Amino acid sequence: MKNCIEVKNLTKEYKNIKAVDDLSFEVHEGEIVGLLGPNGSGKTTTINCILSLLNFGKGTIKIFGTKMSPNAYDIKKEIGVVFQDVAVFEELNVYDNIDYFCGLYIKDKTLRKKYIEDAIKLVGLEEFKKFYPKQLSGGLLRRLNIACGIAHKPKLIFLDEPTVAVDPQSRNNILEGIKTLRELGATIVYTTHYMEEVEILCDRVIILDKGKLLASGTTDELKALANIEEKVSLEVYDLEAKSIEKMKELKNVEDITYNNNILVITYKKGKNNLVELMDYLKTAHIKYNKIFSERPTLNDVFLELTGKELRDS
Amino acid sequence: MHNFKYALKTLFKNKMLIFWTFAFPIILGTFFNMAFSSIEENEKLNIIPIAIVETEELEDNKIIKETFKSLSEEENKDRLFDTTYTNLEEAKNLLDEEKIAGYLYVTDTPRVIIRKNGIEETILKQVTEEILETENMIANISEKKVEESINIAIQNKEEVDIEKIVANTVSEIVTKLDSFTANIENTSNSHLSYTMIEYYTLIAMACLYGGILGMVAINQNLANMSNNGKRVSISPTSKTKILLSSSFASFVTELLGVFLLFLYTIFVLKVDYGENLGLVLLLATVGSFAGLTLGIAISCACKVNENTKVGIIISVTMLGCFLSGMMGITMKYIVDTNIPFLNKINPANMITDGFYSLYYYDTLDRYCFNLFSLLFFSILMLMIAIYHLRRQKYDSI
Repeated sequence: MKNCIEVKNLTKEYKNIKAVDDLSFEVHEGEIVGLLGPNGSGKTTTINCILSLLNFGKGTIKIFGTKMSPNAYDIKKEIGVVFQDVAVFEELNVYDNIDYFCGLYIKDKTLRKKYIEDAIKLVGLEEFKKFYPKQLSGGLLRRLNIACGIAHKPKLIFLDEPTVAVDPQSRNNILEGIKTLRELGATIVYTTHYMEEVEILCDRVIILDKGKLLASGTTDELKALANIEEKVSLEVYDLEAKSIEKMKELKNVEDITYNNNILVITYKKGKNNLVELMDYLKTAHIKYNKIFSERPTLNDVFLELTGKELRDS
Repeated sequence: MHNFKYALKTLFKNKMLIFWTFAFPIILGTFFNMAFSSIEENEKLNIIPIAIVETEELEDNKIIKETFKSLSEEENKDRLFDTTYTNLEEAKNLLDEEKIAGYLYVTDTPRVIIRKNGIEETILKQVTEEILETENMIANISEKKVEESINIAIQNKEEVDIEKIVANTVSEIVTKLDSFTANIENTSNSHLSYTMIEYYTLIAMACLYGGILGMVAINQNLANMSNNGKRVSISPTSKTKILLSSSFASFVTELLGVFLLFLYTIFVLKVDYGENLGLVLLLATVGSFAGLTLGIAISCACKVNENTKVGIIISVTMLGCFLSGMMGITMKYIVDTNIPFLNKINPANMITDGFYSLYYYDTLDRYCFNLFSLLFFSILMLMIAIYHLRRQKYDSI
């Protein structure tokens, strides 16, 4: 598979603080790669360096096999970017905003018109073509922001936290749109701190923290790094401390927490953990209302790797 | 063209820009008109009462006699004096009773007698001094011209043609006298039409407000200044093309604003810019360019947010206009006299002084000086901008 992006040993410092620290990764043609990390982990800085907007101290960046530079117009032609902050003109309506930004890439008016209509359809803004940005809700504005970034049908798309602060309907619309873009053949770099989105969308995930690459791989590969098999949660009332101590002695139990009547048991490895737990509860006459088991999440991976929660950090 | 079209569209739909570029100068012009038209009317009626003592020397001095006669004629639209011809005693009485500002007593040495140092007294003294200087000049010219002409004829071994020499000398004196008369009348103009300075500074202000449009052209297109700038920067259209087309759109908008102000002042406020309207418009165009480049330079050099940049541009413009006489012509003279360098580098003063020179002087020397000063200023501003714009990537955005 061809490499769309090759980043090698990228280092970017702001006043002696390393925002990106010796970062290396590749993005292959046609895949969606998630850059996952908490706020300040260096995701946006990495994208800005790749786009040649920012100077960087060390490292090389190649896009489509060619070194990226501010004057690499042939490469830029094939790139679309949706920035984290909405970048549209307040004075232009939805159609004109998309037309303006698309026109910086596509000179042919007829082709551009078709592309604009496609973009409007993709983000579901058909009814809002004549609306001005201030007349749009936060979610619709985000959709316009996306349309402006991808209307020219780029081969490589950077989506920098496109779903921050949007309503569920718009979020679903945006995620569906991204899937469509991939189906149309685009390679996508998707930065977010929402692990659920990464799990839904991404073929591969790169986890960053403090500018460093902590881990990369498919979601399953990453979850394997978590060193836990499953988490079992139960709603239990008035559980005694001695019962918790007993449960800790059960096979494969890594950790137990009990807060607000919710008991969470984390298992390291092994099979039939749930069956053994239920046997114990029956024997000890402990009554419970709900019980469910879940596989480890990327948050658990992050916790395992850094000792802190992804969202809280 | 695509970027130019949309740059124009965004400028014309930006209410803040439309206000400062189009509405504010017109509103201010209207206030000027309301505030100063009555003053102007009053000033026009304020003809200075003087007396001239009738003496034999006055009868012999045609220049003084005829000049004062001309400046006192009721039919003269630029009439400056209401002159009473009388004897010395009566003139003294009139002055004691404060019925006249002063009187002219022409003996071997013509003298102006005044009691106090007011504006009217100063004007009487200045006009008289100017007449006397011109009289001396004409006497010198006659003497030298005749002498030179004879010497040249002798050197060239030609026949001395007295008639021709006299004719040439008289012709030159007539030319000087015409210029002198125009100068005296202009002195009266300066007294009567000082509100023109207000309109000149108003136009200068409108030109320099174009700086806000220049700032917008930069802010919207650079990655380190706005989110839209980031988007534009990652496009395959070159930065030079984008900035030039946006700046051109800003310049066109600015010119429209300035020309609209001209139309409004000419047709609604009935301001008379004189016969040199073409040159006035040329200076306004160059002034607008200077304003645009000032905004571009401030926008590139000052790493502050957009509102602060607007504040800086408005402050610089208003300060420049204040120093060049917007809130009173006295300020322009104070600066010209005490800190002339300040007005030499003040673009508002370059514009107002250019207009002023068209109105007051027959030659275009001072006008051209101001025009080229504005061009030099614009080039300097562009160099500052280019210095800051040359970078392709940023340390932080």
